[in-house]
Amino acid sequence: MFTCYPSIHTSNGDRMHIMEGFLPTPWWQIWFAISIPVIMYGIYKLNRLVNEKREILPLLAVAGAFVFVLSALKLPSVNGSCSHPTGTGIAAIMFGPAISAVLGTIVLLFQALFLAHGGLLPLGANVFSMGIVGPVVAYLVYKAGMKANLNFYVVVFLATALGDWATYVTTSVELALAFPEPVGGFLASFEKFAMIFAVTQVPLAIMEGAVSALLFKYVVNLKSDILVEMKVIEESVVRKLRGISA
Amino acid sequence: MTSILDDYALMSPLRSRNNWLKLMIVAFGLLAGVSATSPIPPLFIALCMSLATLLLGKIPLSFYLKLLAAPLGFAVMGVLIIAFFSGSGAELYSFNLVGYSLAIRADGAELASLVLSRSVSGMCCLYFLALSTPMIELFSVLKATRLPDSLLELSMLIYRYIFVFLDMALCIKFAQTVRLGYGDFKKSFHSFGMLTGTLFIRSWEQGEKLFISMNSRCYDGKMMLFEARKPVKAPEVLLTSMYFLSTIALLYLTRGVSVI
Repeated sequence: MFTCYPSIHTSNGDRMHIMEGFLPTPWWQIWFAISIPVIMYGIYKLNRLVNEKREILPLLAVAGAFVFVLSALKLPSVNGSCSHPTGTGIAAIMFGPAISAVLGTIVLLFQALFLAHGGLLPLGANVFSMGIVGPVVAYLVYKAGMKANLNFYVVVFLATALGDWATYVTTSVELALAFPEPVGGFLASFEKFAMIFAVTQVPLAIMEGAVSALLFKYVVNLKSDILVEMKVIEESVVRKLRGISA
Repeated sequence: MTSILDDYALMSPLRSRNNWLKLMIVAFGLLAGVSATSPIPPLFIALCMSLATLLLGKIPLSFYLKLLAAPLGFAVMGVLIIAFFSGSGAELYSFNLVGYSLAIRADGAELASLVLSRSVSGMCCLYFLALSTPMIELFSVLKATRLPDSLLELSMLIYRYIFVFLDMALCIKFAQTVRLGYGDFKKSFHSFGMLTGTLFIRSWEQGEKLFISMNSRCYDGKMMLFEARKPVKAPEVLLTSMYFLSTIALLYLTRGVSVI
């Protein structure tokens, strides 16, 4: 009856979602108040997209499940520490930041309930860092990079790596705002939290970027019509990429 | 950790209890824990919720302890920062680290112990919910609230596909491992990229198939859910209100009481 998932970890490891009960009273409400309007907007966009193209809902669902499974897998890392990709950068590139916020919210809720990553009261704060800031950064970097005509894989690498890193910088900001130092205030405690949560994430963000770029390489080589159909890249870019990578 | 919390929830004897009651208990615990000003009420909540999970929910103790230890990494790191840097009162303990003198001050330690106890109580409440209420039951609760339909549909489909893809990912991973795909860093990097890429393509194809199969069964954007009626029984009400009242009393009595 019990299914075994030997490589799926329930431990928080290096994945830094703010845990249950950690944020004091005014802050968890504030982050909910900031996140909920964005999620509402995401739902509005989602409803419009689904009404327009009904076949998109199952695709969004498998994308959400994909993000969850990705975040439950361990990234290979050099020093043996265990870490997980956030996966929302990929969703942002595919579907845009508004819908990624909705997917991120659902994934974070499931992570809290199935894997004990994060929690219910800090859900607003976690959605803000992983579901909103990360995807928005990834999406902006992606759009800017494609406009600048950089190599597609380099752009994917930059977008997902920076998106992942932005997630952890935001987590440090959230923690520093909730626990400012009496002497230096917000900035002083941000320095400390950023040192632990953001600096240590740099190699992991680079790993996530590299893995995402590799992921897109396989997708371009094997089933590029998905990306063209979703208007992620143009047909001409695919042809050029295949010419290089073949 | 070898299984998802949902697996335990499906087998829990508490599954047959009223969902709203369980949700109310958890919400109360979370809110009371976070609004406590002394570490005592959160620890009381943690104790009550753990007892409920272990005795009423019949969760093995060793498994539960492992679960509680899991998020401690995050908690300890955050709490240490708070303890060392957010105090201004009398020094309790200090030492020198490469030229910096680090000191735990009284109010820093107090805040840190408060945050740690709140986190522990929050985790115990969360585990009580996660280990007693399977997601399917929560969906029927969510249906009764006024959340948008598209959101619920999406979460139900995601829930269903999580398990399909977890199995798929593990099969691929096993296959890669026995072929020495994770032998060294370079290989594991490539294997992992291949794994995620394949998973992405397969999940996409699965999504297309899902659309066709659901459409051919007259899917109109709404899945019907069957909700079993689970009336609240008198002993449950009695136990819950005893727990609520004693927690509130404790909250009132320990206002501003510090343990340090």
